[in-house]
Amino acid sequence: MLQILLVATHLGEFWPFSIYPMFSKGGRTWTRALVRDVEAVSDSLAWQSVSLNQLKGSPVALPDYGLDQVDYANFVYKTRNWDDMRIQGLRDLFKEENLRNKKWLAMIVRGYLNDADSVVALATPLFILTGDSTFKNPNLPEAAYYNLTVK
Amino acid sequence: MNLALQQNLFDFEPEKTVGETLHFKFLELFVVCKVIQYTWEWGFYILRLRDVVLPIGLARYIDVSIMLGNPMPLVSAALITVICSLAFFRLGSKWFYLAALILLHLQYVTRFSSGGIQHSSNFVGMSLMGFAVGVAFFSVPKEQMRFIWGFIFFFIGLAYTSSALCKIIGSGVTWVDGRHLWLWIAEKGADHLSKTGQFEMNWLQRVVFTNLHIATLFLLLGWLTEFFGFLFWWKKMRPFIAIGALCLHFGIYFSMNIYFSSFIYQLLIIGFPWAILLDRKLPSGKQTPTLKKWLEVKSEI
Repeated sequence: MLQILLVATHLGEFWPFSIYPMFSKGGRTWTRALVRDVEAVSDSLAWQSVSLNQLKGSPVALPDYGLDQVDYANFVYKTRNWDDMRIQGLRDLFKEENLRNKKWLAMIVRGYLNDADSVVALATPLFILTGDSTFKNPNLPEAAYYNLTVK
Repeated sequence: MNLALQQNLFDFEPEKTVGETLHFKFLELFVVCKVIQYTWEWGFYILRLRDVVLPIGLARYIDVSIMLGNPMPLVSAALITVICSLAFFRLGSKWFYLAALILLHLQYVTRFSSGGIQHSSNFVGMSLMGFAVGVAFFSVPKEQMRFIWGFIFFFIGLAYTSSALCKIIGSGVTWVDGRHLWLWIAEKGADHLSKTGQFEMNWLQRVVFTNLHIATLFLLLGWLTEFFGFLFWWKKMRPFIAIGALCLHFGIYFSMNIYFSSFIYQLLIIGFPWAILLDRKLPSGKQTPTLKKWLEVKSEI
């Protein structure tokens, strides 16, 4: 009874109670996120949206920096308004000392089934983070950062 | 039917054996170790969080942001470690496990306040709850042990069936469409890329990606395994359901790179009749005086 009451009033989750809804919605478009080191890549190339097998720069394995990749993805794709606080929150996730002397590209990845029943995964750059600055993608309209629906 | 199920879950009648007691204490040791591991992992992770994005659980009623920006998560982790260790040896208050559960819940909701949750710790959490209720409300050791076993069997069986029902409610019978598996493999591939910097499909992923029927069969078998999870409530079915669930988890690991290590270890511990095996290997005549004494001490709570 307690389980039913708690999960029913808390969207199915009240740890350790759960209705275990993972993977319950089939066929939905998904959104994840990843990071690339684009130190050796020109900005014009870095800002291009590409498929996962055409990524520029070198990979950044997030656990090497103490960051869980699922947390990072959730933080990025659940942010609808990238105000100053959220951008600082993103930098805090990476930790400022890890960004020193770096040029990291934060990307959002969207996956879907196309008309030919093939899976498409498209990575769109959101920010370039350096030791002292954060740059937004000039190819995205400014409004996109305040009601983010990357296509 | 009800009585039969009750006896399969909470059979208070038979005398407890040495094997069962050892099996039970091993499970308890596993749960305590995992609780301590989680609380420190979450404690250190909370130190780097700045704000609460999505309050869950008790965080909807208590402002857990007081845990952020200070060493409180580590103090909580230390406290959980101490009280769980004492509770394992039945030292101190009978409410220690319950206190640990509440503190660990607060650690969890703070750790996962960044917008996403994970289920890998749920079985350990449910087991801790079983110990919390069992130790607090059953004073006779045999009844305490039998209640805790039954509690854990019930909620683990329910978890798998609940997950299967969620899929039917969420997607209908078309959930088993193999194309859905393709999407999830790609999604988890993106996570893997983010985690390790590289992603290359293994042989199983290539097989399901090249054959829609195999992908669909894969999902169908997974769904059936989950749906029949409630059979875990029956003693005779338990090892078979455990084997099915283990296959399910390895299937998820090889297809989607998600490794539910806690679930796997716990299924291995509780899914098989280790107590019977221990009793056969350790007949009472061969018990050492130290073991006998230790088990007696454990029984006097």
